[in-house]
Amino acid sequence: MRKAKIALIIVLVMLLVSISFDGGEYMAPSVPMLDLNSEGPDVSDMQQRLKNWGYYKGNIDGFFGWDTFFAVREFQESHGLEPTGIADPKTLMAMGFTKLRRPRTVYAQSAKGISEEQLLARAINGEARGEPYEGQVAVGAVILNRTRDPKFPKTIAGVIYQPGAFTAVSDGQINVPIDSNSTVVKAARDALNGWDPTDGCLYYWNPATATSKWIWSRTIVKKIGKHYFGK
Amino acid sequence: MSIREKLLDFKRRLSDRKMYSIVIVVIAAVAIWGITQYKKAADLRQELDNQYNRAFYDMIGYVNNVETLLVKSMITSTPEKTASILQEAWRQANLAQTNLGQLPVSQPVLANTSKFLTQVGDLAYSLNNQNLDGKPLKDDQYNLIEKLHGFAVSLNKSLNDLQSQLANGRLKWGELANKGTRLFKKTSQEMKMQQFETIDKTFQEYPTLIYDGPFSDHLTTAEPKGITGDMLSAEQAKESVIKLFGKDKVKAVELTGQNDNDPLRTFSYSVKFNNASDDQIATVGITQKGGHVLWMLYNKPVAEKKIEMDEAKELGKKFLEKHGFKGMVDTYYLAEDNTATINYAYQQDNVTIYPDLVKLKIALDDGEIIGIESKGYLYSHRERDIPEPKITQEEARSKINPRMEILSSGLAIIPTDYKTELFVYEFKGKVNDNDFLVYINAETGKEEDVLMIVNTPNGTLTM
Repeated sequence: MRKAKIALIIVLVMLLVSISFDGGEYMAPSVPMLDLNSEGPDVSDMQQRLKNWGYYKGNIDGFFGWDTFFAVREFQESHGLEPTGIADPKTLMAMGFTKLRRPRTVYAQSAKGISEEQLLARAINGEARGEPYEGQVAVGAVILNRTRDPKFPKTIAGVIYQPGAFTAVSDGQINVPIDSNSTVVKAARDALNGWDPTDGCLYYWNPATATSKWIWSRTIVKKIGKHYFGK
Repeated sequence: MSIREKLLDFKRRLSDRKMYSIVIVVIAAVAIWGITQYKKAADLRQELDNQYNRAFYDMIGYVNNVETLLVKSMITSTPEKTASILQEAWRQANLAQTNLGQLPVSQPVLANTSKFLTQVGDLAYSLNNQNLDGKPLKDDQYNLIEKLHGFAVSLNKSLNDLQSQLANGRLKWGELANKGTRLFKKTSQEMKMQQFETIDKTFQEYPTLIYDGPFSDHLTTAEPKGITGDMLSAEQAKESVIKLFGKDKVKAVELTGQNDNDPLRTFSYSVKFNNASDDQIATVGITQKGGHVLWMLYNKPVAEKKIEMDEAKELGKKFLEKHGFKGMVDTYYLAEDNTATINYAYQQDNVTIYPDLVKLKIALDDGEIIGIESKGYLYSHRERDIPEPKITQEEARSKINPRMEILSSGLAIIPTDYKTELFVYEFKGKVNDNDFLVYINAETGKEEDVLMIVNTPNGTLTM
């Protein structure tokens, strides 16, 4: 039984350690070191802290220039670190960046290269993959009709990512890669060029799975494939 | 004890200990994994909560500003100052609406709030344009702003109530966004929905707003002008479908739907062809009045490009002539995946009338028409009484920025955001390496719009 007791103690210790796990992962900078000419949100973060403590007096611009360099050096001097002016892991830890990891993008890339057409195609892919072509264009048209209606956000991304608006967005199906012989990109293009098989509808739902009572109060305009389209 | 029994006993003891250890280690591993997962989830939920809170507080701030700016616009004395205030109000309303769209409250609950913010912003923008022309607000516009200000005040109050509840910690966004936790659904979630519904109810008597902007209420009930003819039955309208493709090509036409909602009632059909498999169908929308084709989509795979763009444009024009769209001229085009999408506008007396727009998709292997979109044409087309321009072309040309090199010019009618039309001179010109289209009002000489032409390998687009 002694062996078991020892095992139990070891386990308890491990549990305690994991409980005191900081969760600081989400505050970690993505690079192990910040140097002259580095840029990004980690630099901004560092500049903000240095400013709060009075070492940095410049703008929080996310760019590691000479002002930032001297501020870092001052910080290092007053904390007994080697005054190199470069924010090495030790310096960053002293500043309060608790956990450092290998380089990895923490922030989402801005949508360069993901044009509206691609976003619309991915949304259609998530919502209407197996539907007839008309149904896919119809889903795209509904999204575009919403951008022109005062009740909804004004941009395509705003409409698609509005919380709770599309189940395919909430459960991640929008990220399913588009099959190479899929017609969703063509459907997105047609919808963007003005084709609207729904005659101006703002809503659609699958009658077999729709649970919301409210959606059934919409005027049904037509049915395409599995979906009812309504205003 | 005998040896056998000793062995068995030892074996039992060993396996007991082993079992204990193994079981303990396994439970420990699972527990640790569970704890770290829970912590991660809690962190993410917190981050999400923070995002929602940020959006909510930002939105309240902007709504506050909109309310103040509306009041200010009622008391400024010069049109110029009113203009700058309304412009700021438009910007703030825009920002409020953007942040509203980020909140995890279901859309129907917040529809009216969103509509209010969009329309207030839009109205402010259009009135601003009027003020920039030096015209002050008219009496009825003033009253409208006063009324809207009233709504803004009550919206503000409701939001502030909600904000204090949020600050008290009685509401957590994460719960609202979290779906599968029916077990832990607290009353706070219901309360928040109720609060938002109360906010929405303050808009019960929201007036219909009619003004010069794309979100004006009068646009939703616009009557189509270009639809001539009698009301047809579904059977009669089928004839239009067969005529569209040609009797010998059509194998079967089936009615798939009927839209009896005004303003535009339609029949939808699906068409099977003789020379294609049964699942390669075309879908068509035909107006109930007059049997005009509103839209058509034929998803035919196009293998390779054999026809050039110029020939495609001609084919499209001939097709339109044959099917009742006479006098059309091509304006812009896009070519992608061996399909050309070409815009055609109606031309009357040498004036290009852009609102009367028909779009055709042409397959570049055999020139077949695989797409039609004629909503613009059907809504706006009519024989117009085009007046003589009040200024000459030279006078119009002098209004243009002298840096632009003018390549061509002509007369046109262009649509505005709120479905009215303007009679203009159209100038195509070049500045540095960019092509532009400038529209000068043919009656007032005012510069109405500037479009930049983007030449891509796929075709010309205007921005």
